[in-house]
Amino acid sequence: MNRPLPSLLRAARPLAVLGVAATLLAAGCSSGDGSAPGGGSASGGKPQQGGSMTFAMPPNATPNWIFPIGTPGHSASYNGAIRQQVFLPLYTFNGNDSSKPDIKAGAAELPEYSSDGKSVTITLRDNLTWANGQKVTSRDVEFWFNLVKYNKEKWSAYNKGQFPDNVAKFTVVDDKTFKMDLTRAYNPDWFTANQLVRMSPMPQAAWDIQQAGGQVGDYDRTEDGAKKVFDYLIGEAGKLSEYATNPLWKVANGPFTVKEFTTTGQVTLAKNPKYTGDDAAHLDSITFKPFTSAQAEFNVLRSGGVDYGYIPALALSQQKTIEGMGYSVKRWDGWAITYIPYNFNNPEMGPVFKQLYIRQAVQMSVDQDTISKVIWHDQATPGYGPVPQIPPSSYQGEGQKTNPYPFDVEKAKALIASHGWEIQNGVATCTKPGTGDDQCGEGVDQGTQLKFELLTQSGSTETDNMMQELQSSLSKIGVALTIKSEPLNSVLDHSPVCKPADSTCSWQLSFFGTSGSWYYPAYPSGEEIFATDAGTNLGSYSDPKADEIIERTTSSTDSTAMQEYSDYLAKNLPVIWMPNPAYQVSAIKNTIGGVEQDPMAGMTPQRWYLVK
Amino acid sequence: MTVSTPHVEAEHVPVAGPYRRMVKLFFANKLAVTGLIILALLLVFCFLGPLVHPTDQIHTQLADANLAPGTKGHPLGTDDVGRDVLGRLMIGGQTSLEIGIAAGLLATLIGTVWGAIAGYAGGWLDTVMMRVVDAGIAIPALFLLLVSATIFRPTVPVQIVIIGCVSWLVPARLVRAEALSLRSRDFVQAMKAMGGGHGRAVFRHIIPNAIGTVVVNATFQVADAILLIAYVSFLGLGVAPPATDWGAMLSKGISYTYDGYWWLIFPAGIAIVLVVSAFNCIGDGLRDSFEVRLQGR
Repeated sequence: MNRPLPSLLRAARPLAVLGVAATLLAAGCSSGDGSAPGGGSASGGKPQQGGSMTFAMPPNATPNWIFPIGTPGHSASYNGAIRQQVFLPLYTFNGNDSSKPDIKAGAAELPEYSSDGKSVTITLRDNLTWANGQKVTSRDVEFWFNLVKYNKEKWSAYNKGQFPDNVAKFTVVDDKTFKMDLTRAYNPDWFTANQLVRMSPMPQAAWDIQQAGGQVGDYDRTEDGAKKVFDYLIGEAGKLSEYATNPLWKVANGPFTVKEFTTTGQVTLAKNPKYTGDDAAHLDSITFKPFTSAQAEFNVLRSGGVDYGYIPALALSQQKTIEGMGYSVKRWDGWAITYIPYNFNNPEMGPVFKQLYIRQAVQMSVDQDTISKVIWHDQATPGYGPVPQIPPSSYQGEGQKTNPYPFDVEKAKALIASHGWEIQNGVATCTKPGTGDDQCGEGVDQGTQLKFELLTQSGSTETDNMMQELQSSLSKIGVALTIKSEPLNSVLDHSPVCKPADSTCSWQLSFFGTSGSWYYPAYPSGEEIFATDAGTNLGSYSDPKADEIIERTTSSTDSTAMQEYSDYLAKNLPVIWMPNPAYQVSAIKNTIGGVEQDPMAGMTPQRWYLVK
Repeated sequence: MTVSTPHVEAEHVPVAGPYRRMVKLFFANKLAVTGLIILALLLVFCFLGPLVHPTDQIHTQLADANLAPGTKGHPLGTDDVGRDVLGRLMIGGQTSLEIGIAAGLLATLIGTVWGAIAGYAGGWLDTVMMRVVDAGIAIPALFLLLVSATIFRPTVPVQIVIIGCVSWLVPARLVRAEALSLRSRDFVQAMKAMGGGHGRAVFRHIIPNAIGTVVVNATFQVADAILLIAYVSFLGLGVAPPATDWGAMLSKGISYTYDGYWWLIFPAGIAIVLVVSAFNCIGDGLRDSFEVRLQGR
């Protein structure tokens, strides 16, 4: 699925990793060891055609995009999950069988790479059509590619040097086949799992227009034309209330179409009667319901108001009650990491965040074990680095496995003091500016105080408590942390990638990981979140050695590359590593079957059904 | 014929002053006195209580999370991050009362001046000023508060200003009605005939003579402000931690309804009910005290 974005929204779950199996093998994982976690399922009973159901979305998650090219602020994973029911991605993965793409849920057959790894040829499945009756063709993929190529700076998933920069030439071979020549050789598994999954055919014959009522043309084939088409489509995509009525979005090729899309986040998908693939929906409709908090969702769940919901960690004592109401309760673990990015470009605190000793002191102030146990009620796992901590995998380096910075407030306090900081009125103040070993560090002026501001998502008592615990711990080492809570979309909007001179660069720390910050494909490389200038490197972390290691993880089949990546970033601390919560503890009505809980946070609602 | 005129001696009946009569009338109202006592006790509890029961409300103590009432050192138990609930009730009460009282007074001040000017001036100025009030009343205060909370960091001073600025509309209407009546009274006309200015008329004659309405309404404004801050905090947009208020405590406690942690819910909830009831009772008592017809009883 093509959602690069992060987290937050379960966001990122990127892609699915394509043939994960291959990836895993390439990475040198032993079976079981390196595989992504398996998810639970509720797939019993015989499918019944028809009917409807309701699905509870995460707290404060409000879908706000359906266009197959995400822009900043519109790349949350739930957008992608809903979108690909309407507009099929080229490839997607089912985390429960991560060895290969879920071909039925995508638009293409398996890709064929040249022996030198410098080109890939893809054939579209021949039974797919758009709702207007036209076949899904290579031209539709080219249309997507051209819009992305000429508007890449506006694409939220864009990472410099990667897609589409790494495609030297796009060639339409015939109606069903196209070929891409790459700028150099790539690991095929990585390329499929992390690049091709972003692609999505779009109905060129209906969307290649520059204004409402305009003539369809080949505008996308010129830069100027592609920009105009993109701007027009983006403008239309911003009108959420018209998603169900705008003729543009009616030209779908997925198993569902949009029946309702409110500005408050409720979405209802209806079975697409014109779907011609072999993965048709069982249900007539499915409603995705938004909630402002986990508690609000739980109250509705207790009243039977949702068919597929979740139980907040602090309400797990109610599991028996929920089960007695006819639900199955299943933990849904994610192949994810949770973190708080530092904004290294913040004009005030950026120079402070760039000091490794400061980041080390902060990391040593996070009592992950206690937070996981007390606040998350054992529904979270401490995380020490960039590779998901569970299940154990061969991707993890020894440094990450052993937690390089265990909780130790006194040591953290001493570390800060040893670099020229004195605690005055409870706040550490730089008294020895300079770059010496016992001085504050480059760019940190005398009198600078360790006063951090944290933007955090609202709606979760666990998150609120976790942030209060962090605030409490940091205060003991002289860091004054101010917390501001906002809905998830606001947090994302207010913590963009930025330059120091930008007015949007005032944020310092940002948390959006109530359900995990970043969902990986099976191959958990970090080119999207930790590489210099990566599209989702929100804090603008930049480290030459990290870049070099990340580069190797995407181009080399050397199994030690990922371990080195794991170790280096676990110690270099590009972010504050935080406990990773389970994606959710699901409550699924026993009358529903066909549910697979994808560890990569994907969904295949077309396969859900009411049990006969 | 002589007519004798009977000598009548004036009867010296001590007559209490108007303020003394008002005080007497107020204290004759049992509900008002009860409200006053409750308010006094809550003020003592919130502002002097921490001296008797000092607690650390800054740092969390996860090892002590959700201890039941009666646990040594925690008469009302602890919350979900291990903070003492009794101490937190005191600290939260300070915030609620500070914001409530200050915002209520600010709203009353703004509304009084606005209404007095509008009522005294009359004409097009009155029309314009009151249409502004009508427009403001048409927008739900809670909506404005929620929008404001997303724009400004919700500190205590900010909350006071925001709540004060969205709550002055009702007192403005009330005072304007008083001013419409007062402006034609003889003492106002006399002052103007002697060369008094508009400012003197408004601030030395109109407002002082509407003080009864102003004071009574102020008590209700305070009660409403406390409820408003409770609403906002309940929705998660109150003051930032580690500070808290009763509404925020109640909001958090509600999360544990199904776990039976009643001590996270009832103390804050009861405190809100008590303080709002107290201010309303005091307001009722003051209204009766200022009512001239009742003073003759």
